[in-house]
Amino acid sequence: MEKLNETLKAEFSIAASALKKRMEERPDRESLRNLIEKSGLGRFRISRRMTNDELKILSEKGGIVGVDGSTNSTAGSFPYVITVQQSLAKSTAVKEEIYCSRVLCPLFMKEEMDEAGYLELVKSSLATLEVMAAIEAIEKLKPAVILVDGSLVRLKIEAKNLWEDLKKEAIDREILLVGVVEGITTKIISGVLKESLPEAMKGACDWELLFGALDVGEGLEVVPTGLKEGFRTVFIRTSIDPKPIGIDLLEEQYEYMEQVENLVFTLTPHDSRGIPLWLDLVDKKVKISDALLEGLLKTYLGEDFSEFLTPKRAKRTP
Amino acid sequence: MQVVGLTTPQEVFVASRERKFRINEILVIDDPHQGSLIGEVVEANSYNRFIPLSINHDFVDARVIESLERLGYSISEDEINIARVKLRNEANFPITTGAKVHLPEFSEVKDLLVRSTPQEGLALGEIKNTEETAATMDDNLKGLFYVYRNGEKKRTKNVPFLLDLRSFQQYPHIGIFGGSGSGKSYGLRVIMEELMLKEIPAIILDPHYEMDFSSKEEDLKGAPDFKSAFKKFQIGEDIGVEFLALGKRDLLDLLSAVKPLTEAMSSAVEILHRRGDTLLSFSSRLELLAEALELGRLRIEKILQQDMEPQEREKYKKMKELLEEYPNIPLVSVQGIAWRLRRLQASGLFNHNIKPVKEALLQGKLAVIQGPIWLLQVFSTYLLANLYRARRDYKDGELRGNASGEYFPPFVIATDEAHNFAPKGYDAPSKGIITEIAQEGRKYGVFLVLATQRPTLLDETVTAQLNTKIIFRTVRGHDISTIAEETDIGAEEAKRLPYLPSGDAFVSSPLFGRTVAIRVRLPYTKSPHTLNPFDEIKNYRQKAQDRLLDLLEVHLPIYETNLLKVIQALNTEAPDLKLEIRTLKESLEILVKNGKLKKEDTPFGAMYYRQT
Repeated sequence: MEKLNETLKAEFSIAASALKKRMEERPDRESLRNLIEKSGLGRFRISRRMTNDELKILSEKGGIVGVDGSTNSTAGSFPYVITVQQSLAKSTAVKEEIYCSRVLCPLFMKEEMDEAGYLELVKSSLATLEVMAAIEAIEKLKPAVILVDGSLVRLKIEAKNLWEDLKKEAIDREILLVGVVEGITTKIISGVLKESLPEAMKGACDWELLFGALDVGEGLEVVPTGLKEGFRTVFIRTSIDPKPIGIDLLEEQYEYMEQVENLVFTLTPHDSRGIPLWLDLVDKKVKISDALLEGLLKTYLGEDFSEFLTPKRAKRTP
Repeated sequence: MQVVGLTTPQEVFVASRERKFRINEILVIDDPHQGSLIGEVVEANSYNRFIPLSINHDFVDARVIESLERLGYSISEDEINIARVKLRNEANFPITTGAKVHLPEFSEVKDLLVRSTPQEGLALGEIKNTEETAATMDDNLKGLFYVYRNGEKKRTKNVPFLLDLRSFQQYPHIGIFGGSGSGKSYGLRVIMEELMLKEIPAIILDPHYEMDFSSKEEDLKGAPDFKSAFKKFQIGEDIGVEFLALGKRDLLDLLSAVKPLTEAMSSAVEILHRRGDTLLSFSSRLELLAEALELGRLRIEKILQQDMEPQEREKYKKMKELLEEYPNIPLVSVQGIAWRLRRLQASGLFNHNIKPVKEALLQGKLAVIQGPIWLLQVFSTYLLANLYRARRDYKDGELRGNASGEYFPPFVIATDEAHNFAPKGYDAPSKGIITEIAQEGRKYGVFLVLATQRPTLLDETVTAQLNTKIIFRTVRGHDISTIAEETDIGAEEAKRLPYLPSGDAFVSSPLFGRTVAIRVRLPYTKSPHTLNPFDEIKNYRQKAQDRLLDLLEVHLPIYETNLLKVIQALNTEAPDLKLEIRTLKESLEILVKNGKLKKEDTPFGAMYYRQT
């Protein structure tokens, strides 16, 4: 045991020092900002908090709707799993809440599929549920703005069929469709600045480069390419957390970019991790917790059948 | 409302989405297996699951909440109210989670809240947070008195807190604790008013000269009149000590109250005071002995050999006898005693007796005894001992089947600053009698109401005998721990003591078996000292100015050159003002400054006039 631990320690320290080195090689704040400005990659802009009058106008136009989804599966091994999903669209102005939900089980699928295929299905199904909730929200809640938890690109890819409907409805009815991305995975900046960045930073994620490089309320708007075509993206630091978040907007609604930035900044608590409070509320409401899932199982399946789905591993005592 | 979470047989959590809980509220839990159980809210919380309390992570700032409100969302919609409820009586087994909970009808909790009737009990105030329950209460219990609510005088809407008079037989003494400004004096006043309403004979020692019940509080409809229900007595003016009735002990206490006696003085008093002494006989004995000691035996004998008037001779003979009788008393002691006696005499103490107090008690009135604290201490010793003896003698006679003794009624003794009368750790003249009454008074129907802001300084034997305790805001940690020790007040209540609003109190009484949170009712009468000293200054100045202005009226306009004539006129009209040119000029300037007069420069110097 002792020996094994030593090896583990050694291995870990190698990884740790590599990571440290990488962090040390990050360009400092000023030089990165200089590089970005020189390259014409994007523009920096400071957002401001919206005034009460502006918010009132927004409220009169229908307020904002937050859309989020949640998925959870029983602990069994494939294909002995049940996946429960739901999405929620919740308005600040209208009391009604829109839930869309679905339960999946690979044992009863029309076509046979492997585990990877099932995971793909789960992902796209969730995205579809979210888009469905958003479309229904446009119909019923008539908001001025829809804030989606996660990037719009994800919806476009994973919910192909319905995405175009949502986009069309949003543009026709002049409802701003906004994606709020907590975990940025894009590499736009390193892609453009490739030549000027140190070796370790080539291929770095946007958030890594921008970590601590923005002031509170400051955003960097970039012109996206490739997959993100048809969208506009702003990386923005909305709270004291130095890690920026991303905001997606449809190209067609680009003219509202500034207002959207201000809105997201306004709705984000200063001391938080940077996500608008409304999306946090929707997230807490929609979340399918383990306890909820267990409750569903016990209620509808009964103790003995739910035992059937529980793998031995889950019974292991810690 | 329903029971949530982990339960015990003693305590449960109750949650409600619509209703906020209040501390001390009474709730009824409908346990499906154990029936209705009664509990009291000891902790009330509200929780919003969307606003987590965390400093580093997602701490919600108010601006964002406000922004969301502007966007039409009210965060309070997602609020959950949770109460920790302590069961009145321990259940047999833990409460069923999910059990329904409801606010009690009055009939369900009547025994818990009301232990008397308005006729038989002292209505001290309202039981807090019982509006809903009070709505279903019998009409004769509704709106019995007024309370202060949000700065306004309103009729009570809560269940009344009635302290049963008959229970005094069992639990005779009341303690009132609370810091200054906590409402303690109001509490004492309310108890006194209630005793007067019930025509219970009572005495209150009033070192603050505040126990006057003749001026009514404004705007209280139907407030009773107390003018004939109480009598005020000033020590030395209306009442006093009958010297003839003084025992040695009483006399020692009285003298030492002026200034503590030395050992030599005490023994001198014991020797010199004789049964049947009048003030005159005792004091002349003292004076004569002092003179004799000063002269000395030899000189007295010498003088006696001379020729003199028979009266003179008699005096010196007496001196000689005194010297022979008391050979060992030092001169300073005699002088010291004589000085103290003169001071007592000067206070008028010996010119009166306590008969008027006895009469007031016999008439079922409240006797207010006023005097400076040093005198009050000794006088009360004498007074209480006498009254207590009168009552005891009557009662003992009755017990012995010899009821022919003079009737003397049971009575209540009340005092503020009780720690001065029965202090812990040192002796005070009045301590003995108060301790005796605390321990034995119940037998004879003599009851104590002791108020103090420092329960820690009150004699422990006395504190232990206070069965009912009314506890107002207390800030000193020391006093809080004394209170926690001496009462059944719980840790939750003790924690709340420093924050109680003025007039709110906890009542700890064996009769109720639990601590009851009350708000003391508004007294029908007010203390003569409610005028703020700063208002007093203002009022005084205003009055003085108005008076001067009235006097000046006829002389206006006044020219600076003519002040002397005005002064002469003013000083004949109001000689007490003692005006001079300088002071009048200053006063005129002040009147100008306050806009009462105008000043104008004229060829004859300044002119003061009133603008019409």
